[in-house]
Amino acid sequence: MEFSKLQMRDAFIEKLYKRAIKDKNIIFISNEFGSESLDKFRSDLPEQFINAGISEQNIISVAAGMAIQKKKVFVYSIASFITLRCFEQIKLDICAMNLPVTIIGVGTCYSYCVDGPSHHATEDISIMRSLSGMNIYSPADSNIAAGLVDVALNSRKPVYIRLDREKLPIFYSIKENINSGYKVLKEGKDICFISTGIMTHKAFEAVTDLEKFNFNIKIIDIYRLKPVHHIDIIKEIKNFKIVVTLEEHTLNGGLGSIISEILHDNNINIKLKRLGIKEELLYSYNLRNDNHKKNEIDKDSIIELIKNLNFL
Amino acid sequence: MTDYKKKSKEIRRKIVEITSICGGHIASSFSYVDILVAIYYSGIFKHNPGKPDWQERDKFILSKGHGETALFTVLADLNYFPEAWLNEHYRRGNCYLGGHPDYKIPGVEITTGALGHGLGIASGIALASKKENEKNFHYVLMGDAECTEGSVWEAALFAAKHKLNNLIAIIDYNKIGSIDFIENFTSIAPFKDKWEAFGWEVMEIDGHNFKEIISALKYSKKREKSSPLAIIAHTVKGKGVSFIENDPTWHVKKLSTTDEIDKALSELK
Repeated sequence: MEFSKLQMRDAFIEKLYKRAIKDKNIIFISNEFGSESLDKFRSDLPEQFINAGISEQNIISVAAGMAIQKKKVFVYSIASFITLRCFEQIKLDICAMNLPVTIIGVGTCYSYCVDGPSHHATEDISIMRSLSGMNIYSPADSNIAAGLVDVALNSRKPVYIRLDREKLPIFYSIKENINSGYKVLKEGKDICFISTGIMTHKAFEAVTDLEKFNFNIKIIDIYRLKPVHHIDIIKEIKNFKIVVTLEEHTLNGGLGSIISEILHDNNINIKLKRLGIKEELLYSYNLRNDNHKKNEIDKDSIIELIKNLNFL
Repeated sequence: MTDYKKKSKEIRRKIVEITSICGGHIASSFSYVDILVAIYYSGIFKHNPGKPDWQERDKFILSKGHGETALFTVLADLNYFPEAWLNEHYRRGNCYLGGHPDYKIPGVEITTGALGHGLGIASGIALASKKENEKNFHYVLMGDAECTEGSVWEAALFAAKHKLNNLIAIIDYNKIGSIDFIENFTSIAPFKDKWEAFGWEVMEIDGHNFKEIISALKYSKKREKSSPLAIIAHTVKGKGVSFIENDPTWHVKKLSTTDEIDKALSELK
């Protein structure tokens, strides 16, 4: 398994840099937040980089104003800050006016682990998907993250991209077609796993071990959480008796809820088990793997769950 | 040559007529009508009702969106959209001419209503405009109570840092919020000092004196400073109708009796 040499944010920024040197209308606004790759962007393209300071509400408003003037704006910050602190600005300044601003939030869920709840984006999927017009991406590897640069540039809509901080294994080709919003990374027939972000990696770890117990499990990685086309998902899961969703995110309103809504709204009678962050464990300072164990979304817990499912 | 006083009375009369039918914040509109008339009828502010998307236009943003009645009345008067929209559809729930400005309305630049957003958006517009070497100016009309929103000061810091001298904030300093005089709930004064401390050039004017308003608008385009400009306009909430003036309870009230409407209109002859 090849691991990415770059964090997702650096893969994204390096790709964006290549576009920005040819397009002066690309503007990158940082919330006093950096990265290795950003240093080059800042020094080579000073007219296209803005450090707006620690002012999330203003950053979103400024981004909206620049987008009104036809700039292609990217806002960059820690995911928890740039979704919660300025949610009204995202709703009214960007979504209500349908402006093509891309928000890059770094640090999905427990990425910042011991830094604690102030830095944990544990509910960003829930709140951002409540916004009409918002498109949400949650890549599982840095190749998809880099590919989202062109998706964002070609989109005429608000976009939120949530990025993990780890250098995760690579699943996707650098030339992957990112239009469908999901990919079946492994075929299977007994159970269907639907996962996003780092949990797609956890899913693979668990499924690899579960094969020794003769479980044949399908894995679908969803990297576009909004919009999710019901027809596509139904086509992929309709022959299964059970679907398990895996997300490193609160169980209130995330991926599990998305799939639950699809099943219910389309009268699909499939059992659904949702794995994610339990509400009572949302605020913590634990190491990431310990958080996974406590929430029973680590590899061993997933294996135990599947072995004990009495449906087959 | 526009008779500004006559035009502003005409606008206020129209506001009385429509708000008494369908509501709207009459006092909040009345306090800035004179500023609005000076902007839209003096020829200083560059705009074209026939081309609301004209690239070279100056932009006006009503950040205190609850004062929409005055703006819509002026825009209708200038034929940005048919007066019938105002007479028949405003606040009736069947079109975008609702209780706060929406960007889809011809002549309205951005959607507002939640306070504290306009200055930040205008800062983004002004910064992008500067990068393109555009020669237009961007005016944001804010309320004074609106300036208790932290986002206003985030934008003020940003605008000063980026030397947005094409950005002008006009504050409708009528000293009244929604339920009380602002001195009773916030330490906004000394107001001029605050804007100056944030790096802005500041003017103070009588917001009902056309000579002073016009002079300030002319200056806003001629000044040779790198800083943004704040025009603190001392106004009276409800200006124009004596029994509405300077009374916090009139933030939410509307003229509801024939007697009240007649009295108001008689003062606006």
